[in-house]
Amino acid sequence: MKKVRLFSTPICPYCLTLKRFLEENGVEVESIDVSQDEEAQKEMVEKTKQATVPVLDIDGQFVVGFDRKKICEILGIED
Amino acid sequence: MVYDLIIIGGGPAGVTAGIYSARQRIKALLLTKSFGGQMVHKAVEIENYPGFEKISSIELIDRFEKHLRSKDIEIKNEKVVGLDKKEFFEVVTDEGKTFRSRAVIVATGAEPKRLNIKGEKEFLGKGLSYCPTCDGPLFSKKRVVIIGGGEAGFETALFLRKYASAVTILERGEKVFASQEIQERAKKEGINIITGATVKEIKGKDFVEEVLYNDESIAAEGVFVQIGHAPDASFAKNLVDVNDKGEIIVDPETYETRTKGLFATGDINNGRMKQIVIACGEGARAALFAYNHLIKNYELDSIN
Repeated sequence: MKKVRLFSTPICPYCLTLKRFLEENGVEVESIDVSQDEEAQKEMVEKTKQATVPVLDIDGQFVVGFDRKKICEILGIED
Repeated sequence: MVYDLIIIGGGPAGVTAGIYSARQRIKALLLTKSFGGQMVHKAVEIENYPGFEKISSIELIDRFEKHLRSKDIEIKNEKVVGLDKKEFFEVVTDEGKTFRSRAVIVATGAEPKRLNIKGEKEFLGKGLSYCPTCDGPLFSKKRVVIIGGGEAGFETALFLRKYASAVTILERGEKVFASQEIQERAKKEGINIITGATVKEIKGKDFVEEVLYNDESIAAEGVFVQIGHAPDASFAKNLVDVNDKGEIIVDPETYETRTKGLFATGDINNGRMKQIVIACGEGARAALFAYNHLIKNYELDSIN
């Protein structure tokens, strides 16, 4: 099972959509609120070179935004 | 496989159309990249949706999505990039897939308007954002500029005030167009408002560092663009007529476009009032007329 972390903010609707999509496909996700966790926010910005959420970290591979195709590929989610 | 109905869009109009269609026991598919439409960008609570004296946009979106998912309707998170009609409607997505149907409801609403200036594309996600509810909290103790002095600009400014160390609104016009009430609140919160400011360029290195307007510059780490929303019906251009605003022209009773079986509902059509509750009502109406179209023209397996 791949380790999946979701970097998000409290009232970000796109983050919620992404979270729900992952849950529907049986993916276990650790949610991190980067508005509270400065270390995680720093890590996210450094890895993605961007300041925007949602961001997924799938076993060290960072995906910015709800890039469904890419996320499905990495996680092996069947369409 | 041919669907009875494909609904394009996951805002208030699309979701309501989906709920109504599921109740008709037809084979329906809803295509949307995400849920909520323009509610996604709303940085203050919604106070005019019946049943809720006050509700945050994310909570209302969440309720809409859950309600829809409780019904018998297929949902796919894909963006529609093309629409045409041969024997059936053919809906093409950004993943290169084609879905066919007997009727289509377009409910794609409106997208945030772009500035179309230098640096806007380059710094998108690198300090520049169209989504304050998403990215606003990332600018804690930083300086932000909001471009646009309408109601949404002020709402965004007040939301960002909770995080940012300095908040400035740049408005192109000689005065702002937000309500008196919100202007007073902004004043009290120490939000800086500059009118007559035409933004020329967003500058920085890896991230935004300054905003150039007129002949001046203002230092900022974050820029939020709030200059309104505009519809984009270009993916359907072969089948619909649009007005000078780019809105799809529909029959005001049925929301049918010039193509039979193709409906446009919510902010994408030429209706003049743009409200969440109106979009919901329109979505319901389009779904009912789409059903009428289906039973008049087809013998549907799913309809007894």
